[in-house]
Amino acid sequence: MDILDFAVYVAPPYVVAAFAFGATYRLLKYIFLWKRGPGPEPRKRGAGSLVKGLIMTFLNPIIESIRRKPHDFITGLVMLHILGVIPLIFLLDQHIAAFAYWFPPYALLAPLAIPLSFTTSALTVAAPFKPVSEMQWGFVNTIWGPLTVFLNGDVLAVLAMLGVAYKIGDKIVRRAHGLTHVRIGDFFDLGLLFTILLFGFMAAHHLPSGDIVTYRTVLGIHIVLAELLVALLPFTKFWHFVFGFWYGKLHEWYDLKYKRGVAE
Amino acid sequence: MNGVNWETYDEALVKEAAKSVVGHIDPVMMHYIENCVSCAACETACPYYAVGEEYGPVNKAENLRKLVRSEVAILPRIFPWLFHSHVPKDAEELNKWAEMAYRCTNCGLCYVTCPFGIHSGEMIKLVRGFLTKTGRVPTVLKAMIDMEVSGTYSGIKGFMDLWQSVLKEAEKAIGKELPLDKKGAEYVYLPSLAEAMITPEAIVSSIKILDKLGLNWTMPSDPMSIRAPVGALAGDGEAAAAVVKRIYNYLKEIGPRYVVMSDGGYPYTTYRFDLPRIVGEKPPFKVVHFVELILELVEAGKAKIIQGDEEVTWHSPCKMGRFAGLIEEPAKLLSMASKNFRKLESHGLFSRCCGGGNSIACIVLPTMQFLGKLTGTTMQVSDEEMNFLKKLEHDMYIASKGKIDEIRKSKAKIVASACVGCIHTIRLSSRVHGLDVSVVNIVEVLADKIEKA
Ligand code: SF4
Ligand code: SF4
Repeated sequence: MDILDFAVYVAPPYVVAAFAFGATYRLLKYIFLWKRGPGPEPRKRGAGSLVKGLIMTFLNPIIESIRRKPHDFITGLVMLHILGVIPLIFLLDQHIAAFAYWFPPYALLAPLAIPLSFTTSALTVAAPFKPVSEMQWGFVNTIWGPLTVFLNGDVLAVLAMLGVAYKIGDKIVRRAHGLTHVRIGDFFDLGLLFTILLFGFMAAHHLPSGDIVTYRTVLGIHIVLAELLVALLPFTKFWHFVFGFWYGKLHEWYDLKYKRGVAE
Repeated sequence: MNGVNWETYDEALVKEAAKSVVGHIDPVMMHYIENCVSCAACETACPYYAVGEEYGPVNKAENLRKLVRSEVAILPRIFPWLFHSHVPKDAEELNKWAEMAYRCTNCGLCYVTCPFGIHSGEMIKLVRGFLTKTGRVPTVLKAMIDMEVSGTYSGIKGFMDLWQSVLKEAEKAIGKELPLDKKGAEYVYLPSLAEAMITPEAIVSSIKILDKLGLNWTMPSDPMSIRAPVGALAGDGEAAAAVVKRIYNYLKEIGPRYVVMSDGGYPYTTYRFDLPRIVGEKPPFKVVHFVELILELVEAGKAKIIQGDEEVTWHSPCKMGRFAGLIEEPAKLLSMASKNFRKLESHGLFSRCCGGGNSIACIVLPTMQFLGKLTGTTMQVSDEEMNFLKKLEHDMYIASKGKIDEIRKSKAKIVASACVGCIHTIRLSSRVHGLDVSVVNIVEVLADKIEKA
């Protein structure tokens, strides 16, 4: 059994168990700390104002980021999140295939699949015929069409790696300035993410060499590290994506827009 | 009056204070502590970021995380140097923490800017509470808290003479005796000693409005507080609760349907939103600001406003706007009151903070000197605290410059607002930044223009 076999056939149940344990622990803390008590009468605002308030609660940080920190918006939000890790993780064709192997309904996302490499994308646009595949679905036959020239694993992985590199650089500068809000976990998390992206990119390009042992090792490392990220997710800042973001914004909406009646 | 000692360090006290802060964590605070990704998106929103990048919200709030990690997290307790988990180790570090904690107005701009809805200001408030327990609290703030909790402010001649003179002025304005402490009144007007000191005209104008509208009203004969609850400004929840409960009992005795306030700063949000939590029951009355009361009567056709042409603008106090939802209501009233009303550039949810809230403008040297003159006392502060106060005043003027600039840009001659802290800050800062503007409470603009319909 090599590392790839371990990653695909052995590790998943342990990863799920670690995630479930961590997530339960973190959620239970909130429940145990909850204290019931009388609250104020909310300021009455119409349903329209509350719905608009909900949308704006999620949009305001993006608008403020564009206004106040455009460099962070481009690198952190656009490159790292919107174009980087979110489509890469959930829509990369190979990822959909892998996730569907573990969880078959995930295959429903197949029509949204993003091809792995720039070459495949270029062929989608330039080739005079449609590629034929005997697999469950056609790898490049997705709704994205010519957009795949941009929406492909190569381009998005490079963008995501640049975004992560920017974040790491920013944190190093902040540390050098003596700011203490930069935590050791930030470097660990960003380092882990960068390594996962790098090994994924290398596996996709059969780097550093094309022999099968190297390929399986590089791909195995990519998957094992991704599994490590999932197992550690409830204990790291990656938790923001599962819980922190949603809880935080919904609480803010409840507090400011619903209870206090801030209308936008 | 003897000052607080800023030179000593008591390890046992520091540890005890850290434990007590951890005991105050609720699920929302837990979210603030745990779910920050350190992206620093919040920092440029903060008025004190202009002073230096170390005063960005996340960096200031990190002190609470250090403290909590040192108390409850497992790995950080084993490797404190790796995880930044510790309480201040000496007097110097304690003072540094105080410097950071008193560079926050609790304006909430970080809260609405953070992609995760993290209110660093509320975390910094807990750090202030920790510092207060260790003995690091500005002398003047401590004096105000002590006087408010014990009620000894009413034994200070300067305070009571001032209070009485404001009431006399109001009596003169309405031409009749004030209906003080009248049981069964429908409206209780609740001003504070701070309003008598900083915005006495606001009290007179409020009384004029109540009288003009022919309402069945009353007000306390005693100011009841310095500016309740002052304890909240030092993160002292117990002191704050004690004062609020005392005032609540007075209000219950009167039995009004409405409690009306002219101060739209933290006293208003405390009574409007925090009262049920503090007193443990739903109050039998509604708490409203004059803006709500007047607008409701005007919209119901029971009152009208005569329009003038003053060049007036509205500075939205963070508490009344972002934290109480009264953003457009004051602007609506002011546009009825003057055809030359104009909004400030940042009007809205992201209205710029004045830079002096959360006690800052009330503890700096000019305010201390003013209080000293009024009470006939001199407050002794240690050299360390004096340095802290001087630097704080300097930084406050930097933090408030953005506000002054936007007022200047509006070309308004009058700035209407509703918070004692905001009005005091803008007055101090406009002088420093060379802006000639009159800063008043909105009730002062409305009092002569309002009529019973
Ligand atoms: S914006 Fe929110 S998540 Fe980002 S550093 Fe500030 S408090 Fe933390
Ligand atoms: S509450 Fe206001 S002053 Fe305090 S940290 Fe947040 S933005 Fe800065």
